[in-house]
Amino acid sequence: MTTKARVLETKGLTIHFGGLTAVKDVDLYLDEGELVALIGPNGAGKTTVFNLLTGVYRPTAGEIRFFGERIDGTAPHRLTRKGIARTFQNIRLFQNLTVLDNVRIAYQVNTHHTFIDSIFRLPRFFREENRMLAESRKLLERVGLSAVEGELARNLPYGMQRRLEIARALATRPKLLLLDEPAAGMNPRETQELMDLIRQVREAFGLTILLIEHDMSLVMSVSERIYVLDHGALIAHGTPAEVRKNPRVIEAYLGEAAEDALA
Amino acid sequence: MTPMTIAPDRKRLALLFIGIVALYAVVQAGLSAGWIGRFYENMLMNIGINIMLAASLHLIIGVTGQFSIGHAGFLAVGAYTSAVLTTKLDQPFFLAILAAGVVAALFGLLVGAPTLRLRGDYLAIATLGFGEIVRITLYNIDYVGGAAGMQVKHLTNWTVLYGAVVVMLVVIANLTNSAHGRAMLAVREDEVAAEAMGVPTTYYKVLAFAVGAFFAGIAGAMYAHQFYIIQPVAFSFLKSFEILVFVVLGGLGSLSGAVLAATLLSVVNIYLQAFPETRMILYSLVLILVMLYRPQGLMGNRELGDLFRRRAKEA
Repeated sequence: MTTKARVLETKGLTIHFGGLTAVKDVDLYLDEGELVALIGPNGAGKTTVFNLLTGVYRPTAGEIRFFGERIDGTAPHRLTRKGIARTFQNIRLFQNLTVLDNVRIAYQVNTHHTFIDSIFRLPRFFREENRMLAESRKLLERVGLSAVEGELARNLPYGMQRRLEIARALATRPKLLLLDEPAAGMNPRETQELMDLIRQVREAFGLTILLIEHDMSLVMSVSERIYVLDHGALIAHGTPAEVRKNPRVIEAYLGEAAEDALA
Repeated sequence: MTPMTIAPDRKRLALLFIGIVALYAVVQAGLSAGWIGRFYENMLMNIGINIMLAASLHLIIGVTGQFSIGHAGFLAVGAYTSAVLTTKLDQPFFLAILAAGVVAALFGLLVGAPTLRLRGDYLAIATLGFGEIVRITLYNIDYVGGAAGMQVKHLTNWTVLYGAVVVMLVVIANLTNSAHGRAMLAVREDEVAAEAMGVPTTYYKVLAFAVGAFFAGIAGAMYAHQFYIIQPVAFSFLKSFEILVFVVLGGLGSLSGAVLAATLLSVVNIYLQAFPETRMILYSLVLILVMLYRPQGLMGNRELGDLFRRRAKEA
């Protein structure tokens, strides 16, 4: 096996909210280029893990390393600048701004003009704004949203809003992309298109991806490894085939009815 | 629609420049030739000061979405700073104007840094508290005359005020139409998502607060040197509220809306002074009617330029 860089690693990741332990002793890792899924029943703490990884919450205990560097307790916008991007389970676009502006805001991470340049319209302002504009358009073309660049985000159909969320995350030029139920509420065809898109951008941008997803067939088909979370703790970890057979997973997450779904 | 590349549109800039100079020249000629009397001169000054207040608060509320209702506090800081400099310390007016802006901006930083962690209603209450603290502190400083107020030289004139308004509008418009302005809009739209997209939200909130306070401070210098006397009572919550009304009535998020509303309401207010008993009732009625028929404000979130562009496209 070739040695790949360890992109993300957590050790004993724990958070309490008052008396409730939402996430308990979670150890997980991602190597460069992997696509790993995090699954678990509703309320298992999947999104809380995302919020810990992206700095929205500060862990009560444990550590998070990104390319070997401790990042727990770092502000979310700094983590984005380091190369961790995310999408949200309930879409959180900038609703009253255009599709283009949604992406341009994310490109802001890579701008190098100050507000002084903007106020006086110095040459650097035009250079940087035009670079951002061109790159944003290129990205919109890649995800198939060029035709609607002038639309307000809130007027887009649901599937396109999901795509825009991904485009916006990509605009920050991440090394690690966290996708929180990107296919939620999509019909099978839209889901298929979305997975194709994710595969494409993963290749093109050399991304490492951590995916939260409910759609079991989708998770089983795309991920290389799966972590299973229940009541805030990891109960299983392995390849899709291993996880599928794990009795604890079947009991805790899949339940009796799901056995046929997996069969 | 966003154009293919962003470049200065020389024709439009030239037209704008000619318009700005022409408006200045016509009014200046009117003032020196005496066609524009004292009454209208005062009205123009009032409009100018209110435009500065409206546009500076627009940056904080309309663009960045931080609901601040202590704007009169920054106005007061600017007014008293400049008044002390010109009347007590005999400094030139120009220096006093700059100092008013800088000191008000420092107050903006001072208030902004701790309170901008608050959101919505809580921020509104904190900024309201700030405005009241400024006013009550001024009541108790004998050096600036306490409740009786302070005599100030009349130094504000059309040239200075017009220059200040133009500079401010250019700065705010240029700031808004840039990556930095878009970052502020992102803060308004969704703070959590903005952070996740790498926008340092606290930085942009404080920036908006400081720039807004700077221009409110300059408006304060204009105000102090226009009305001969300044008293703490003029900078009460009611003043903050009046400025807030300009911004909301103009349409949250529209700079030209804020300017338009400040102009219209200043004029309405002056003409209503002929009816002292019913003035506030009529003023409120105007507000109620506008809000009933245009709940999104006069301009919605569009700008004056958008209207021309649309017309050009249809033609």
